[in-house]
Amino acid sequence: MFERFTQEARAAVIGAQEVARRLRSDRIGSEHVLLGALGTRDSVAARALARTGVEPAAVEAAVRALPPHPIDPDALAGIGIDLDAVRTRVERTFGPGALDRPAPDDPADRGRRRPAGHIPFDGAAKKMLEVALREALRLQHRRIDTGHLLLAVVRLDDTPAHRALLAVGLDPDTLRTAVIATWAAPAEA
Amino acid sequence: MSEELLTAAAGEDPAAGLRAVRSLHALADRLEALHVERARRLGWSWQQVAAALGVTRQAVHKKYGKRFG
Repeated sequence: MFERFTQEARAAVIGAQEVARRLRSDRIGSEHVLLGALGTRDSVAARALARTGVEPAAVEAAVRALPPHPIDPDALAGIGIDLDAVRTRVERTFGPGALDRPAPDDPADRGRRRPAGHIPFDGAAKKMLEVALREALRLQHRRIDTGHLLLAVVRLDDTPAHRALLAVGLDPDTLRTAVIATWAAPAEA
Repeated sequence: MSEELLTAAAGEDPAAGLRAVRSLHALADRLEALHVERARRLGWSWQQVAAALGVTRQAVHKKYGKRFG
């Protein structure tokens, strides 16, 4: 699907891999794609964020502060457990977000090393790329750029990337408007 | 049981199987913490919580005593 990506969107995906490695993640998550997009110089995403007045560093800090999420919905689906179904029932008793608060101590997180080599995308990141493509189709844009990636984050409100934006106080609608304004404005030299 | 489920349960790919196990541990830890907290709020003794979890009172108190004491 990357053949329809603009140069800067490709750079963002490569950047996401570097971010994931830097943050010692063994998966490229939606939050890493978000940081990859924002960190790509002069990208639509970076310019849109600048319009909102939020610093990229603040978004990265928010991503670092996200609770570690070793509960992998894809892996559980592989053994027949529907995490969404579990979540729905748990939240009925314990309230929204009950499963997302960090477990007291995840021994598996101790002493994790910086992953080397190729890092796969996780489910949320794949979904984000898919939705970015759909956003481009919907808007009848021929290419997918980092603006479409941001619109995907705005839309996917159950992703870590979306939670990071909320954590820095960024209103999803404001960001969507900023992306559209960035497309309309001529690129600065 | 679906074909997919049987394949994963058979553990063809160690990476997928291990990730599933890790996720199960994390999910179980999270659920345990939620339920222990709730049981204590509802007035359960550490002894009752420990018996329900099948561990010693000391073990459960050591793990949660500070937080939900």
